[in-house]
Amino acid sequence: MLLTLDNICKSFGDTVAVNNLSLQVPEGVIYGIIGPNGAGKTTTIRMIMNITIPDAGRVLIDGQPATPDFRNRVGYLPEERGLYKKMTVTEVLVYMAQLKGCSAQAAQSQVDPWLERMGLFDYRSKKVEELSKGMQQKLQFISTILHDPDLVILDELFSGLDPLNIEIIKDILLELKRNGKTILFSTHVMEQAEKLCDHVCMISRGRKVIDGSMTEVKAQFGRNSVQIEIEGNGHFLRELSGVLHVTEFNNYLELELAEGVDSNEILKQVVERVAVRRFTQLEPSLYNIFIEMAQVEQPGSDMSGGGDSV
Amino acid sequence: MSKFLIVFKREYAQVVKKKSFVVGLILTPVLMLAFVLLPALLAHMKADGTERLAIIDQTERSIGNQFAESLNEYKLTDDEDTPYYSVEQVYTINPGDSVRFRAVEESLREQINDKNLKYFLVLRQDADLVDSSMYIVTNSDNFRSLRRFERKLSDLMASVRLEMSDINLSVDSALTLTRSIDLVVRDTKGESMPFLTKYFSALVFVMVLFGTILGYGQLVMRSVIEEKNSRIMEVMISSVSPFQLMMGKVIGLGAATLTQVAVWFAMGAGLFLLRSSFDIDPSIDRIVFNPAIIVFFVLYLVSGYLLFSTLFALLGSIVTSDKEAQSLVAPITMLLILPVILGIAVVQEPNSLMARVLSLIPFTAPTMMMMRLVFVAPTLSEYSLFSGIVGEALLGFLLVVAAFAGMVWLTSKVFRIGILMYGKRATLPEIIKWLKY
Repeated sequence: MLLTLDNICKSFGDTVAVNNLSLQVPEGVIYGIIGPNGAGKTTTIRMIMNITIPDAGRVLIDGQPATPDFRNRVGYLPEERGLYKKMTVTEVLVYMAQLKGCSAQAAQSQVDPWLERMGLFDYRSKKVEELSKGMQQKLQFISTILHDPDLVILDELFSGLDPLNIEIIKDILLELKRNGKTILFSTHVMEQAEKLCDHVCMISRGRKVIDGSMTEVKAQFGRNSVQIEIEGNGHFLRELSGVLHVTEFNNYLELELAEGVDSNEILKQVVERVAVRRFTQLEPSLYNIFIEMAQVEQPGSDMSGGGDSV
Repeated sequence: MSKFLIVFKREYAQVVKKKSFVVGLILTPVLMLAFVLLPALLAHMKADGTERLAIIDQTERSIGNQFAESLNEYKLTDDEDTPYYSVEQVYTINPGDSVRFRAVEESLREQINDKNLKYFLVLRQDADLVDSSMYIVTNSDNFRSLRRFERKLSDLMASVRLEMSDINLSVDSALTLTRSIDLVVRDTKGESMPFLTKYFSALVFVMVLFGTILGYGQLVMRSVIEEKNSRIMEVMISSVSPFQLMMGKVIGLGAATLTQVAVWFAMGAGLFLLRSSFDIDPSIDRIVFNPAIIVFFVLYLVSGYLLFSTLFALLGSIVTSDKEAQSLVAPITMLLILPVILGIAVVQEPNSLMARVLSLIPFTAPTMMMMRLVFVAPTLSEYSLFSGIVGEALLGFLLVVAAFAGMVWLTSKVFRIGILMYGKRATLPEIIKWLKY
């Protein structure tokens, strides 16, 4: 399924939440919408789901405006989670799948395998309210994909999940992608986006600031830098020709090199002076790009919230 | 299966599975039954002395005397000789002498008001031919006695009528073929049904209607609020349209209401079949088993429920908590309970302008019209679709249905936006803005 947003806009009163946003989600990829809190990620997703109606612009599915049938082909996990607390785990899963057009029998046959995979099988007859919050999260994730949707939209998927469950869910997402499904998710946690996404779109203050495949984005923001861990004093590093800037960390240093400088030449020079434990050619992290872009977008604002959740 | 039906099934199952549903199912008819049977039981215990009565007899066969004689078999207690009834006087009045008749009737009425007499029976000229030419005047609701009179008169009339006819049949065997007569009971004001009976019957009908509409209507509201608060609404709206969700709830819970009513009806039908085996006050009989009242009770229950539950769905979508909703529920409750508050006024004049107007305004119609229907308690001959109380009740019902249609339109506009507003109650200007989408 090909999802296209065509110049969509949404304002709430005087606040512009989404400003002329266009993007295209190709089929069979994991697509990340990233951006700081309040950037307009959730509003964008709600407009895709037809929960919020855009002030202007169109949402197209395979080039056509969405039909009611679109609902059945999408699995949606909203940022605000919730399930019927008084229903049992199995009941709630079957009900939600039925609402997506599955027959009760088809849904029922899918419930147990998924519960088993997510470690909830023993709770299948328990009421939802008896489950812990993390378990309810997992349950809601199952209900998002139980009806085998072509497009899965996950708003702040990983919030509230422990690393073990994050790994389980990542595996499932990669499996879905292998089966040709499209996955769109939003997050402000860059490390996760970096590990998962084929394609990223960063939005800030309702506008798109970066859009492209992960390799393109990294190439665009690529800087020539290396990480180095040495024994002894690294003062001399600043004087090496071709080194523009040195950042010292507790156990290692990061060197920013001038354009066209071969990092191997640098390594040779360093090995002559001190013992090298580790030497890595660095790619720019999405986190750094995010910080950089966000600071450009919002000069002076505190962006420390960007990467602290992991 | 359409998504409406899926929502419908869940909402229905959620209510019917609840213990409170089963309790209400049993408890309500038990209370109603108690109301019907309790007076009967009380009457059996009541024997506070010989009951005095008089008879006005205008027939030519001295039926009055025969009737007086037949009452001698009833004793106050089983082992004593004190008669239960004492016929003070039998006035034999010439059918043509209407002046004397009126004078006697008036004085007997006064004696009843003064409690010197408990009953007087009037047998008009052709009472031996027409049941409605006899009636009994009393302010008492001791229908055990009334039933005895009815039985004795039935027997008496049957034999008199048989003798008059030329059928060559033994009297005893023909008696079993005759039906019992319907004795008209009036109080001294000329009302054909005792005030208290009407008032309490009307109250029972109105309270059941009121309780069901309000109870289930609020369930719709709570269900919406719960979905808002548990944040499930957004997932729901990504699967079903707000309209499907709203109607699924309203109709699903409505089906639960109908289930309840159907069970009550089955119980009522059982009671109807058994009613000859215990004494039911004839006037209660006329109310509880009156087809017009039963039909309109169901129509008003259904239409009233639909109207109010849609309104409650609207309220649920614009508030953020049960607590906040309560302040809005109070005025709605007032609309429905109005007839009870105005009850006394309605009793005195069920066809007054105020009562008529209130019974045609959709929000007060269900309970108000029910109240009036019970007070008027139309007999079969008064059934007309275009006039009288039955015609008005039909009009009122159609108005409620029309109002329901309008309410669905209004609610569907507000609902789809209201349900996704978290943490803030919608203001009136906002709601008006939503209507324009």
